[in-house]
This record gives sequence, C-alpha cells and structure tokens, in this order.
Amino acid sequence: MKSLPPRRAAFGILLLAAAGQAVAQAPAADYSAYPCLSYSLECGKLATRRPQLKQLDGALNGNAEKGKQLAQARNGGNCLACHVMKGGSQPGTRGPDLSHYGTAGRSDAETYSMVYDMRTRNLDTLMPPFGTNAILSDPEIRDIVAFLQASK
Amino acid sequence: MRPTTRWLALAALTSISALGLATAAEPYREQYPPARIDPARGVDGDIGFSDTLPFWRTEAELERNAKWVGDPNEQWKLNWKFMDLDRVELHPGHLAVDEGEAMAARLSQRNPAFLLCLADGGSDLNGRAAAYPKYDARLGRIVTVESHIEHCAKTVLSEEIRQGSPANNKLAVYFKSLSAGMPIRVDLGDGKLMESYRRGERLFYAKTGQLNFACASCHVPGSIMGHKLRGETPTTPFADAAHYPTYRTPVGALESLQERFARCHSQMRTLQLKPGDPAYVDLEVFMTVLSNGYPVSVPSAR
Ligand code: HEC
Ligand code: HEC
Repeated sequence: MKSLPPRRAAFGILLLAAAGQAVAQAPAADYSAYPCLSYSLECGKLATRRPQLKQLDGALNGNAEKGKQLAQARNGGNCLACHVMKGGSQPGTRGPDLSHYGTAGRSDAETYSMVYDMRTRNLDTLMPPFGTNAILSDPEIRDIVAFLQASK
Repeated sequence: MRPTTRWLALAALTSISALGLATAAEPYREQYPPARIDPARGVDGDIGFSDTLPFWRTEAELERNAKWVGDPNEQWKLNWKFMDLDRVELHPGHLAVDEGEAMAARLSQRNPAFLLCLADGGSDLNGRAAAYPKYDARLGRIVTVESHIEHCAKTVLSEEIRQGSPANNKLAVYFKSLSAGMPIRVDLGDGKLMESYRRGERLFYAKTGQLNFACASCHVPGSIMGHKLRGETPTTPFADAAHYPTYRTPVGALESLQERFARCHSQMRTLQLKPGDPAYVDLEVFMTVLSNGYPVSVPSAR
C-alpha cells in the first residue's frame, strides 16, 4: 500500500465504519400515472400534463405556519431543495432566494399561479408543476403562498 | 425565454406538429433543452460541458485539488472521483471483487463453458469489460456486462443470476476489475450501438414523473448541476459509468449503474424500471459513451 494522504486515511475509516449498515428503504410509491421511460409500459406513452394557468379562487385564506412545514417537507413541496427560505436547513441554491419574498409586493394571485404551474411563465423552468401534477393540493398551495407572503 | 423555446411552447400548447414534437400519433412530451454532446469525443466532451474534467481526470489533478474534498461549494467539481483511488486498504469494493472471483471460480468448476461464455470464447476476461456495452449480432441486442453474466449463467448453467441481484453485481465487479485502469472503448463504429446511443440520449432529456424532471434537469450545465439540492449536489454525467458497479457505503451493498438510474428515478418520482429494461440499456450506452477514453475504475465505493 502506498502511503495515504491524511484526508484519505480518515476517509477509509469512515468507509469501514459505515459498511454493512443497512438503511431501511420505504416501498417505492407508484408513479405510473405520470410519464416514464419504458418502451412497453403504458406510462411510456403517457403525455406530459400541459401547462395550466390556474387562477386563485376567492381570498387566499392560507395558514402560513402550515405552509412553512409543507415548504420544507421532502414529501411535501420540498421547495427548500431549490430555494433559500425562512427556516429549514440545507437549502438549495438553484432557484431565487425566497426568504424575503413577502417584501416584493407580489400579489397572492400571481404567486398562486406560479406555484401551481411555473411553466405558464417559462416552459423550460426546472420548478415542478405543483398544482397541475397534484404534488400539492389547492389548500396546501394556499398555505405555502401565505408563508411566502409572510416571509419578510 | 429564448425564441426557440417560445416557438416550442406555442407548438406544444396548440399541438402543431411542425417541429415533429407532437405529431398526431405521439403524445405531447416535454424535454429539457438538449446540450450538444459529440459522442466521438468520449470523456473529453466534458470540456465545454461541465468543464470539471481537468480537476478529476488524473490522480495528480485529484491530489492537487484534494483541498476541495468536504468543501460544500467545491467538492462537486471532483465528480466524486477522489473516491475511486485504490489506496484505501480493505475498501469493501475489494472484498466484493474477491467474492466475485470465488463465485466465478465455483461456477466455472461446475462447467468450464461458463468462463468461456463470459470471455466470448477467449481464454480470459482481461480487458474485455472495457468494450461493453456492445451489440451482439447473434442475440440481436445490446449486451451489458450484467446482462452478459445473466445470459451465460442461464444458457450454460441453467441458473438465474439476474441483473441487479447481489450475485450478478459481485460477478460484474470481478469481471470489470479485470479491466481496471484500461480506457473504456465502446465501439462507436457499430451502427446498432449508435442507434442505442441516440435513443439513450433522447431518454436523458425526456421529462418524466410527477416532478416533471429529465435526467438533464440535474446533470447538464445550466440545470441544477453544481447547485445544492438540499444535502446533495448533482455532478457531470461524464465518466460516471467507469466506476460501476460500485460499493454503496451507506447501505453496505453493491449497486449497478442501472440500479443507480432507478434511484434517480425514485427521486424524480418516476416509475422505476428493472435492471435490464431496454430503456435502461440505452441510457447505459449513452452514459458509457460519455466515459469513452476514461479508465475503468472498479472497484470503487460511493
Ligand atoms: C427543482 C427546483 C425548484 C423547486 C423544487 C422549487 N422551485 Fe421555485 N423556482 C425554481 C426556479 C429555477 C425558479 C426561477 C424561475 C424559473 O425557472 O422560471 C423558481 C421561481 C420561484 C418563484 C418566483 C420567484 C420570483 O422572484 O419570481 C416562486 C414564488 C417559487 N419559485 C416558489 C416555489 C415554491 C413555493 C416551491 C415549493 C412548493 C418551489 N418554488 C419549488 C426552482 C424550483
Ligand atoms: C433531481 C435531480 C436529479 C435527477 C433528475 C437525476 N439525478 Fe442522477 N443524481 C442526482 C444526484 C444529487 C446525484 C448524486 C451526486 C452525483 O454524483 O451527481 C446523482 C447521481 C447520479 C449518478 C451516479 C454518479 C456517480 O458518480 O456515481 C448517475 C449515474 C445518475 N445520477 C444518472 C442519472 C440519470 C440517468 C437520470 C435520469 C434517469 C438522473 N440521474 C436524474 C440527482 C439527479
């Protein structure tokens, strides 16, 4: 064996310590209602759901505290994967910083439509169409919009 | 929005088939704007792509940039290649090679034709894995190291050693370790192979699943690549195929390249396909061509 630079020696110990440590895997959810890469299964032939411009119906009535939880939850909006937001750890860096979104003076209606389906503004956006693809429900999007507007 | 995109959007929204994107027969499907990759350049195609190749191409470069290991902003530029270095003693990937070797010896004791089949009639396995995937004219399909192992076990030994199973991965790690250090040389001169490459390329840019991501959404410049995605930072797809199957330390098990595709698919909330699925084979061809010229780096750990 060649002599190890210190960092790699430490790394080796790390490797060994973690070896054999099995991580329980949750059963895979069924996403066959959405397009997949298969050449033979039905989902391989499914169309992408088209961009949908959704108007906010009535007053927002969102719960900002719930919205904050939803925005952070990996199985919820997981907005934190791409955005810096108020609260939460390990934010993503690809999207704009939303931690002071509430100071920008954007309307609830505009914000709602963007979260519902950003493709209506930018077809190439990386942001998932949360409403169109039923990742979040209407009340959940309202909660998140309330959280964004309260982020000052 | 760039003008081409606007035009695509319009075509998409109104089902105009002018661009051949949404013909009457084909469903409306979104794709991530394709990057231009020249397959002939192999791993050098990363220059002008992520431009990280100079940092991880050689051991000397990795040494020079060792300061980035553990740095949340810079580490992604090493494409995790600092973990390929063969210097960590008792690296569990090495144990897998030993197990694979013992298994291959046992199986060929039962019937020497097993090794002969693996070696395509040759006398040994040395250097052979570097030429996979390849088109097998007799079988009429693209063959990967893993599907080749499955095929030889079935035809010679009447035994199921399915792709994606621990036994198959061990044999594959052993097989590939016999090409360690040799440049990957997928045969671009083979028309069938290139057809598979082109299909794989299309799959790479196809948006799928509940989150409407393509592979490219995280693995090309301008996408999420190089940006933090909570705890992770997606890296370049160049040279990834070189170190598979890899030993996954967090779960203490080997993982094949196609099992890795399935794991990304789960993150994308997209239906996971099984190892050996024709779509995954095409993706593997695409990604291995992006490793052409880069040395096979098995065993490895991630
Ligand atoms: C995969 C990455 C990603 C995720 C996840 C994501 N976004 Fe975004 N978001 C973006 C990007 C990139 C932009 C920039 C605009 C664009 O791409 O069109 C953006 C823009 C925005 C904007 C507009 C900001 C502005 O100043 O104009 C809002 C509001 C927003 N996102 C909210 C959210 C919320 C709420 C969630 C979670 C429910 C979320 N995003 C999840 C990537 C993401
Ligand atoms: C939402 C983001 C995302 C998408 C979409 C995605 N990946 Fe990944 N992928 C990652 C992250 C994060 C990693 C771990 C960091 C890295 O090595 O890039 C990774 C790792 C990989 C690796 C292993 C790299 C290595 O060095 O071992 C392969 C191979 C891979 N992805 C292929 C794909 C393919 C093929 C697709 C499409 C089917 C895909 N990815 C889609 C985020 C993504």
